[in-house]
Amino acid sequence: MSRDLSDLVDLVARARAGDAGAFEALFRSLQAGIYSFIRGQVREAELAADLTQQTFVRAWESLPRLRQEGAFVGWLHRIASNLVRDEVKSGHARLEVAASDVLGDPPGVDLAPGPEEQVVSQGLRTAVWEALDGLPAEQRSAVIMHHMEGMSVTEIAQAMKCRPGTVMSRLARAREALRRKLSSYVEDSDAGM
Amino acid sequence: MPECDRIRKQLSYYAVGGVRGGAHARVERHLASCAACRAELTALERTGALVTSVGPVPAPPGTWEAIRDQILDRPRQALPRPARRSWRVAVGVAALLILALAVAFVRPFRAPQPPIAVAVELEADDTDTPATIESHLSAQWSAPLADEAAVGLRLSELGGS
Repeated sequence: MSRDLSDLVDLVARARAGDAGAFEALFRSLQAGIYSFIRGQVREAELAADLTQQTFVRAWESLPRLRQEGAFVGWLHRIASNLVRDEVKSGHARLEVAASDVLGDPPGVDLAPGPEEQVVSQGLRTAVWEALDGLPAEQRSAVIMHHMEGMSVTEIAQAMKCRPGTVMSRLARAREALRRKLSSYVEDSDAGM
Repeated sequence: MPECDRIRKQLSYYAVGGVRGGAHARVERHLASCAACRAELTALERTGALVTSVGPVPAPPGTWEAIRDQILDRPRQALPRPARRSWRVAVGVAALLILALAVAFVRPFRAPQPPIAVAVELEADDTDTPATIESHLSAQWSAPLADEAAVGLRLSELGGS
């Protein structure tokens, strides 16, 4: 996911001023990342969809209190994290997630692959999510934010309320574990080159 | 081989950009001469690329419409936290206002008659310091026994008679 920071800042400023169209543009740009981030933490697809909605609704309500437009992405993830944490505390959700749950079709979801997605096989998709499932939650979140959402280490550190060095460490350990779990795919891609 | 073991421990950090300075230079020097470690670094980099290629899972269709309905129905002025804060502030201000009005209303009725009599007696007996006595009488108005100087004057006057 590539985001132009100046575009993002402009959209956030307009949304903060009450422009629902600008907020919709922000949603279109960030929804898949937020949904995946939440799906990486809760088991039920419907719950993840509901928490995604709540995340954006709360962001809309709280936007006037956001001081730095550039911090929007990390701030949005913090809102999502807090909602997930509250849900888990209430006993309605579990933090662990199974790949089949992530990839299973939630009600009303059309998972027909787009042109880009056709390149990635369903087998690889399942293998990656299964491998992610085996990671500690903090490593999994860091990997989803970095590799699937394209967030920088600084943005992830803001979202996870930790130092950039801690994010690096989580990413490095996750990379080692994923390299072992996905070795057959890594070697396949090696042979194909 | 021991050098390979040391480098391998740092390779995943190197792959994510987490190795800097002298350690970075050491890893680079080693990689230039070690094919096995280069292959391992390549595998780590491809692992990252594989995860990136999968990409995020999109939210279900209709998610935006549901959000839009909620944000249009719930204007920001109706936020729970600020609303609650405003309510508390309003109650606090109202309480202070009532208290101030009560004090202003009740105070005139607290004026007791006896101090006036004391004032007359003191004025009559201590004509040298009328201003001092008057100020002490003012203090007596709300708390007759709190002004020790005025009480002392009264006692000395009683003792002298």
